[in-house]
Amino acid sequence: MNFSPRQQRHRRGHFQSTIRAGGKPIRIALAGNPNSGKTSLFNAITGQHQHIGNYPGVTVEKKYGRLQFKNELIEIIDLPGTYSLTAYSMEEIVARDFVIKEKPDVIIDVLDATNLERHLYLLLQFQELGVPLVGALNMSDECDEKGICIDYEQLSTILGIPLVKTIGTRGSGLSQLLDTAIQVAKGVFKVDQRHLNYGEDVENAHNQIIDLLETDPAFVAKYPDHWLAIKLLENDRDAILKVKSEHAAAAEVLSGSDQIRRKLENHFKDDSVAIIAGQRYAYINGAIRETVKIDRTRPAIDWTERIDRIILNRFLGVPIFLLVMFLIYQAVFGLGNPLAGMISDWFGRLSEIVKGHLPAGQFRDLLTDGLIAGVGGVLVFLPLVVFLMLGLSLLEDTGYMARAAFVMDKFFHLFGLHGRSFIPFMLATGCAVPAIMAARSLANKRDRILTILVTPFMMCGAKTPVIAMLAAAFFPRKAGLVFWGIWFFSWFVALSIALIFRKTFFKGDQSPFVMELPPYRWPSLRSVLIHMWQRSVAYLRKAGTIILAAAVIIWIALNYPKAPTAVQTPVTTQSGSELLLSAPQDALDYSFAGKAGRALEPVLKWAGFDWKLSVSLVAGLAAKEIIISTLGILYGVTEETAEAASKSHMTSVGYQLSRDPSYSPLMAISLMVFVMLYTPCLATLVMVKKELGRLRWALFQAAFTLGIAYLMAVIIFKVGSFLLPLL
Amino acid sequence: MQNDLTDTVTKNLAGIPAGRRFQIKRVCGYGEIRQRLIDLGFIKNEIGTVVREALLKDPIEVLIKGTHVSLRRSEARLIDVEVMD
Repeated sequence: MNFSPRQQRHRRGHFQSTIRAGGKPIRIALAGNPNSGKTSLFNAITGQHQHIGNYPGVTVEKKYGRLQFKNELIEIIDLPGTYSLTAYSMEEIVARDFVIKEKPDVIIDVLDATNLERHLYLLLQFQELGVPLVGALNMSDECDEKGICIDYEQLSTILGIPLVKTIGTRGSGLSQLLDTAIQVAKGVFKVDQRHLNYGEDVENAHNQIIDLLETDPAFVAKYPDHWLAIKLLENDRDAILKVKSEHAAAAEVLSGSDQIRRKLENHFKDDSVAIIAGQRYAYINGAIRETVKIDRTRPAIDWTERIDRIILNRFLGVPIFLLVMFLIYQAVFGLGNPLAGMISDWFGRLSEIVKGHLPAGQFRDLLTDGLIAGVGGVLVFLPLVVFLMLGLSLLEDTGYMARAAFVMDKFFHLFGLHGRSFIPFMLATGCAVPAIMAARSLANKRDRILTILVTPFMMCGAKTPVIAMLAAAFFPRKAGLVFWGIWFFSWFVALSIALIFRKTFFKGDQSPFVMELPPYRWPSLRSVLIHMWQRSVAYLRKAGTIILAAAVIIWIALNYPKAPTAVQTPVTTQSGSELLLSAPQDALDYSFAGKAGRALEPVLKWAGFDWKLSVSLVAGLAAKEIIISTLGILYGVTEETAEAASKSHMTSVGYQLSRDPSYSPLMAISLMVFVMLYTPCLATLVMVKKELGRLRWALFQAAFTLGIAYLMAVIIFKVGSFLLPLL
Repeated sequence: MQNDLTDTVTKNLAGIPAGRRFQIKRVCGYGEIRQRLIDLGFIKNEIGTVVREALLKDPIEVLIKGTHVSLRRSEARLIDVEVMD
């Protein structure tokens, strides 16, 4: 064995100094297939001592925890769940690069003991990486129920890897698992680099490639040569890249290994990937045949199949899915919105209290209308985030999420999306912020980007009052019809744009849909709560701070510079526009936002909007509902108009808009479409940046939605203006 | 490939009705999708069962190596199989 943990710790010497007193932690990487129970095992070990970060350069989430176990300080890093270690998905590259570059002291691979055949496949690949390794035979309780009997000592001997029985959900076997891992890390237990023999032909080819690789000793010292030789045989693009950029004789190695691979493929009349996978599975089958006995006398009831007979029934599947989605929607918005309303009330009251205690002035305005309103604007989303995460982790942990994708995939695939895109779409009809967070469940990055780009087109809770107000003001008799027309139009646009993007920017190979439908399992309360807690903190810390900063900037844009006359007359208003109470209409007109609105008027005129609407639309970038309050200020809502409005069953702003002779129903439609489609609110853009990791995606989203909204609005207004007189 | 299979009826997995067992003869395609299929246990000579189809007959659910796997019909088309009894 080439790996002595002590040596490795010297290699990471610079890292050691940053660790607080208590010594050098033993670094344990936790790996495993998705659905192996890895997360519940991680939660059971680390409990509250968890931190979330990102792996450098990618948006794959990195969870780790540090704790004292017996006399050792250990650090556990949760690697992404993967089925294999190829170079095709971000998760797999992250997992293997972490092992190669960061050289953890030991890897614990979590295996579903009820399905060893599939799970050993990954274990063997970790073994090939030549790292100290322990296998956790997880869910061993389910084995007993199913009458599966594993001779794990013999299996351990055959594989050359220490194995420990665990039950992650109950936390049993953990202490023994950590003991074993620590001993492996310290070199007390040796782990064989591999027992798997690929058969004479592959082994020969593999040895020839190792000879080629060894021409550069520095390179071989850096990467496990056995592993790299197998990867080159598999034509793995990341391995090829590593050789190309770092090996001294890259050209010779690559052309040589290419030749060796072709020869092997000709010999087997199959390609190398299939040959190697076939050999791995053959070896696994052999090991299992010798060590696993299934007690046929007590066949377990296959609950998963029984449940799926109903849930995935061809005709019941969709109704059941819609019912589940309805429940989630109710949980997120039905429970979340009242709490959000309470939070918003508290902050309103807080700002009233502050106003009562401080002298009027710019500082007071900044504090109340900028800062307090901004913090409130962040916290208002928190209940939604909490309930969304509760719902999503229940869906994931029970195993229903994969079924939902199965049921809905065909429909969404028609538009170039994935079955799992449905959940963000559904949530976006409530609020785009949780919707964008929910897009995490899309494993493939392209699917995730596409879904995130189009979901904010949907009608959300903040657009609803604006559209409803306009519909009521201009189409008093057909308001409902117009409202739902616009609602369907938003679905139509979102799905069409998705299709167009898939055919243009996201052209090429689609990501594979093929996925496991995991057995149904009871979610563990602990895991669900930890997940909820982490997401909420992450939202507050990452998104919250930026949303707050941006809210203050928008507030400044709406209030500064001050009008020279500074007519700070108190406005008697019933429009409830907290944000701008202190700014009368000419002050707004004079501010940055007002100027921007004025400047935009010549452009927006094409869509039929005058300067008042332009200013409101600019203000609406902060949050869509602000469009109404801004119009309220610009029209200077008085008690008189409020009274007249209530008589005609309209909001006062709606009443005034409908009375403005320069506005027509046609312009109203153009405006509704524009509001529906244009640049998502600030909080949404911040979430996009956070979830996709790059500012440019948020900027692109802001720009392309604006472009589409403008185009649609101009077409509607111009074509309508031309056609209507003809009717 | 064709030579050794002329005696048996080979179809692709997309053409196998629900409830039937099949044996894999070959996995076509290239790149990520093929790798993913192979990693999930779609390898030569493996025996599996088509469990069910979704509402619009796509995707399909297959039992292979003790796991239920869902795949699109377009993906199933890459897998040449032989129908068993």
